[in-house]
Amino acid sequence: MATKFKINSRPVTVDVPGDTPLLWVIRDDIGFTGTKFGCGIGLCGACTVHVNGRATRSCITPVSSVANTVVTTIEGLAENGHPLLDTWVEAQTPQCGYCQPGQIMQAAAMLRDFPDPTDEQIDQVMSGNLCRCMAYVRIREAIRMAARRMQAGVPDDEGNTREASHA
Amino acid sequence: MLKYLTGNNAAPSGDRHEAGQATDLPSPGRRGFLIGMAGAALTLAFARSPQGLANPAKAVAEGAFEPTVWYQIQPDGRIIVNIAKAEMGQHIGTALARIVADELEADWAQVELHHVDSDPKWGYMVTGGSWSVWQSFTPMSHAGAAGRQVLIEEGARKLGVSPDQCRARNSRVIAGDRSISYADIVSDGNISRSFTDEQLKQMPIKPPSERRVIGGQARALDIPGKTDGSTLYGLDAKLDGMVYGRPIIPPTRYGSAINGIDDSAAKKIPGYRQTITLEDPSGTVPGWAMVIADSFHAANQAVQRVKVDWAPGKTSGVDEQALLDHGRELIGAADQGTLVLDEGNVDQAFSDAADILEPEYITHGVLHFQLEPVNAIAQEKDGRWEIHTGNQWQSLILPILSKALGVPEKHIVMRTYMLGGGFGRRLNGDYAVPAALAAKALGRPVKMVLTREDDARFDSIRSPSVQRVRMAFDSQGKITAMEHHATAGWPTQVMAPGFMADGVNGKYDPFAIQGALHWYSMDGHRVRAISNDLANDTFRPGWLRSVGSGWVNWALESAIDEAAHKAGEDPLEFRLRRLKAEGRNAGSAPNSVGGAARQANVLRRVREISGWGDDMPADTGLGVAATYGQERNMPTWTACVARVRVDRETGKPTVEKLTLVTDAGTIVHPDGARAQVEGAALWGMSMALCEGTTFKEGNVADTNLNTYTPLRMRDVPEIEQEFVDSTETAVGLGEPATTVVGPAIGNAIFAAVGVRMREIPIRPAALLAELRGKSDAEGAS
Amino acid sequence: MRKYQPLIASIVLVAGLVLAAWEPSLSAESDVDEGRFTPDQIEHGRVLAGIGNCGTCHTASPDKPYAGGVDFPTPFGTLYATNITPHPQQGIGGWSREAFFRAMREGVSADGSHLYPAFPYTHFKNITDDDLDALYAYFMTREAIDYTPPENALRFPFNLRFLQWGWKLMFFDPEPWQPDPEQGQQWNRGAYLAKGLGHCSACHTPRNAMGAEKQDRAYAGALVDNWYAPALDDSQPVPVHWDSDTLYQYLRSGLSDYHGVAVGSMGEVVHRGLKRAPDNDIRALATYMASLSGDTQPVNTQARSAELITAAQQRARGDLSAGEALYIGACAACHYNSPQQPMAARAELSLNSAVTADDPTNLIRVLLEGIGTESGSPILVMPGYSGLSDTDLVELAQFLRRRSGLPEWKNLRQRVAELRELHRQAQAGTAEHTGE
Repeated sequence: MATKFKINSRPVTVDVPGDTPLLWVIRDDIGFTGTKFGCGIGLCGACTVHVNGRATRSCITPVSSVANTVVTTIEGLAENGHPLLDTWVEAQTPQCGYCQPGQIMQAAAMLRDFPDPTDEQIDQVMSGNLCRCMAYVRIREAIRMAARRMQAGVPDDEGNTREASHA
Repeated sequence: MLKYLTGNNAAPSGDRHEAGQATDLPSPGRRGFLIGMAGAALTLAFARSPQGLANPAKAVAEGAFEPTVWYQIQPDGRIIVNIAKAEMGQHIGTALARIVADELEADWAQVELHHVDSDPKWGYMVTGGSWSVWQSFTPMSHAGAAGRQVLIEEGARKLGVSPDQCRARNSRVIAGDRSISYADIVSDGNISRSFTDEQLKQMPIKPPSERRVIGGQARALDIPGKTDGSTLYGLDAKLDGMVYGRPIIPPTRYGSAINGIDDSAAKKIPGYRQTITLEDPSGTVPGWAMVIADSFHAANQAVQRVKVDWAPGKTSGVDEQALLDHGRELIGAADQGTLVLDEGNVDQAFSDAADILEPEYITHGVLHFQLEPVNAIAQEKDGRWEIHTGNQWQSLILPILSKALGVPEKHIVMRTYMLGGGFGRRLNGDYAVPAALAAKALGRPVKMVLTREDDARFDSIRSPSVQRVRMAFDSQGKITAMEHHATAGWPTQVMAPGFMADGVNGKYDPFAIQGALHWYSMDGHRVRAISNDLANDTFRPGWLRSVGSGWVNWALESAIDEAAHKAGEDPLEFRLRRLKAEGRNAGSAPNSVGGAARQANVLRRVREISGWGDDMPADTGLGVAATYGQERNMPTWTACVARVRVDRETGKPTVEKLTLVTDAGTIVHPDGARAQVEGAALWGMSMALCEGTTFKEGNVADTNLNTYTPLRMRDVPEIEQEFVDSTETAVGLGEPATTVVGPAIGNAIFAAVGVRMREIPIRPAALLAELRGKSDAEGAS
Repeated sequence: MRKYQPLIASIVLVAGLVLAAWEPSLSAESDVDEGRFTPDQIEHGRVLAGIGNCGTCHTASPDKPYAGGVDFPTPFGTLYATNITPHPQQGIGGWSREAFFRAMREGVSADGSHLYPAFPYTHFKNITDDDLDALYAYFMTREAIDYTPPENALRFPFNLRFLQWGWKLMFFDPEPWQPDPEQGQQWNRGAYLAKGLGHCSACHTPRNAMGAEKQDRAYAGALVDNWYAPALDDSQPVPVHWDSDTLYQYLRSGLSDYHGVAVGSMGEVVHRGLKRAPDNDIRALATYMASLSGDTQPVNTQARSAELITAAQQRARGDLSAGEALYIGACAACHYNSPQQPMAARAELSLNSAVTADDPTNLIRVLLEGIGTESGSPILVMPGYSGLSDTDLVELAQFLRRRSGLPEWKNLRQRVAELRELHRQAQAGTAEHTGE
């Protein structure tokens, strides 16, 4: 079954069974391997991508359900630049690094909904992303740094910046 | 942890409980150093044999050099440091490169890393035990210094001055106001030099005050790629013509046999190919079937439909209680196990004792749960095998792969990838075997991926443990002797028996008891390590971040706390008074200089910065613990104070703050060191409060995050840490904090609400039951 | 109100009156002249077909619009929707205007046979002549599709169509609804759309043993096709009152900040059907719907929801259950809200009707199946958590109930097992179907 969507600004049509998890389509069929496989049941967040700008666990999202959406992976975020990618390096956040693309995608989506997140908001939104190296201290630090930097404006998945207010 | 897993393949020998000096390690510098042109680049490497020194250019061209310290200077000035260590979050390449770069006086911005594959010519490959920096510091320094000396000589020649008029800085050789870059020296140089081992030893190494890269602020070279998604892990590997394999794991780790496979229901799945029974001459994966498909999704769907009929192995009924009960029996039987230490007159002390404390401590199984499930691609080309996978100990698995595939070891190469978490899981490369067997059976490349559930069931977990710590007190309440009996599954016995150590009366697994050889002075001290054979039969016990130090210190540092409270003393002061740095606890050069005095120093420092002794709010307490990391001969002096609040309604302990002080000697990469301590401390906390599994019907009961619950962002306490400023030998940092946090938390719970928890993970329900039991007892009295 | 009639008695009664059930066939139109419909009429019909949500029941495959084939499992067996494209043999191409009107208002097919009330003629009887003409124009100008839906598979005696005549005697009042002069024009417009073409109560009203809507429990909520159509009356109070503004937001966008997201059948109603309706019709529907619940006191919606969300978050803090841990791992990343500003796209679960309804079906199904762009909101995707065990789902669902301050659901484990089995069958069908 062919499913059409956009990924990292490129239109794609993938001809795979509709129940194939988006994760494997992204990694094995399309070839963006920055999105990782961790638990397969939606509880670790390593596979987090954006679907229409919202953080989505791709390992349990059938590709058929993203028909006609805009999907963004870490590669797409990196292409357009995002303050989180800078602060992640500045805070020297990653250890093994395996969970970090998912952490960053989740954090990027969070900063759209909560541009100036409180500790409670970071705890609630980011606790779904497991970091097995437990680099949590620096994940939090990198998010805070990016939030401060982004007070001027929050980039969308296309790298465009809009007002940091929430409708 | 892996002091024994050294660069030569011979089994260690001799008295190990006090041994393991750095001189036991292979020093790549023993055979001399080569500097020669390989193509346009200048290669700088340790020779594999003294013969190579005669013709450095030829030796370099043939790659006849040690891989562990090997770097090249390109004509464009880039300095590529080759790393034969697995990168799994410790930024090891950065740390090693910094040592080289410092002595080389290199421009850090031009330094790059290259991770090398396994190859017979590289010799022994292992990464573990927080051991890499410690092992490599001196040879890395020599390598850098030799390079600097040659570049200065060549540069001086080109500048027309004498070498002693020159100095090197930032990849340039400078004489007065003139200078020449390393790039230019390499570009038109034809350099060929060698140094004997003796010459290397004479090489002037800079004093710590002259260090410009070590200990300074510099970013880890591996981080950008891990941030933008470009870093390749084993799971990201891809080969032409490969098919996907997903195993169907048998009901027991050993001894299961397949009676039959019915895949009729899977045949409707598009992309499903076949299900094969793995024939494994190495005995690594008995009773495994592998579903083969065109995509991982198809393999997953097929696995749900393939029925495998097994004759299970004999451990199919083993549960947690059986493992613990067996451990208790072993401890109760005096003839079991190995005496690791027997000092002073322990028996006399106990028979004279005015009082005896003998608490029992339990730890449950811990999954590695490295976030990247194990996976491997195997491919055969013209009789040569390539295994693409992330691995920490290539040299351990190569002989097993050789047996499994029936080909010589030299025909197998392990291609290196980043590790999506190591924590010791990938020291055991057993997962490479089924991929290789499937590829052999099919005659084409197979990419085997385990799901999380498969990974958990196939994990070589941290064994559950039972420990009894007996302490004899005289009539003044002073400890006169301690006995420490510890039993668990022994990873080294099962996976690398050549690395077992010699105790007083037999062999033992050094990694399963380290931590017990503490630095407190006592009149009598006896340590007995016992292998839990039922555990070894039921699962494959693994090395997991700090291995035995993780459970041994839970018992030891809880017991010391119990002793302090029994004596009515301040637990921190109680410890200090026993850290006398006398006799065997005085320490020795180069690794444990200062001995117990340095252990005491970190305790005193943590007392100063943690608010120790302050009044605490209700149901809140401070607990302290101190450990020497993992190994007595490579101690990382660590102390922790945990501040914990207990909710008396629910029994939930909340860790509010962890304060850690670490003395790891010279800190090469300070930011990376802090990161290691942060992560290790949270691991310790996670294992104390959040994660743990039990055995049910021969398997771990928890296989995914629905019921296995490692620490998450919201559980993270405030962490304050500092390092002791030191120029002593650099030792490991990946694991020490893991060992100290659990007992500090347990001790803080006691300080907060007066109940002693002796089992981890500490579940709120268990703590609540203790609280209620205590209040009932108090109500009755 | 009619009294409940025991099944056997009605069969006997109806069987004795077989002859009376006869309806004549109506002459076929040999050739429908499309030119007799005006473009305005066809366009009006297109909008009405949307409000009536005809496509949801009559389109099994997107490439065969209105060609029927959708299955309706009922307690009496499975019904299949008919082909309503103007195909002369398979569809309604041969139907005269008179035959179309009779089917819509009396539930009698062109050949004289009685239609089952799964086809909501019991509501369509309320549609005006003009609107029926427009619908006729619209359907007669669709592409004729040569497709025969499967035969109905009803158990005896429900497969005897003439028995429907008896059913009608008992449960069908052919008199159309009349506007209420006490109410305003907008309310009456909304009532007309809801009671007629929109046939809202067909899903939201529980049915009796004979499959007829229980008139005394109109809009009390019902399980239809394994989705729970929540109560629209005040029999199951929702945490935050539905007012006409929130109803408008919901019917227009499929999202309500304070109630959740339209999924399943309602997702189709909003995104495929009501999408075509003009704003003033949506406003009218919202006005009428708002009047269904007795609670008309104005409330400060934002203050009320802030209070509820704060209370829910406090309850969660003291909850050490496995369900709470699952919520933090699986749900909170997307569903956590600041109490002052819940966002529709972060559906606030303490207010969400899937959690607060008396029936757990919708929550379990959404957890198992997720929500794709095709079924929920076109901008939102929720993954499916079928990788969680039955125990996990029960723990999670009961935690969500506790978090909302509601009693735990009864028989939840059994319901989870039933819906998982349905999901498993659907999945297995898909997996193997793609292989053919």
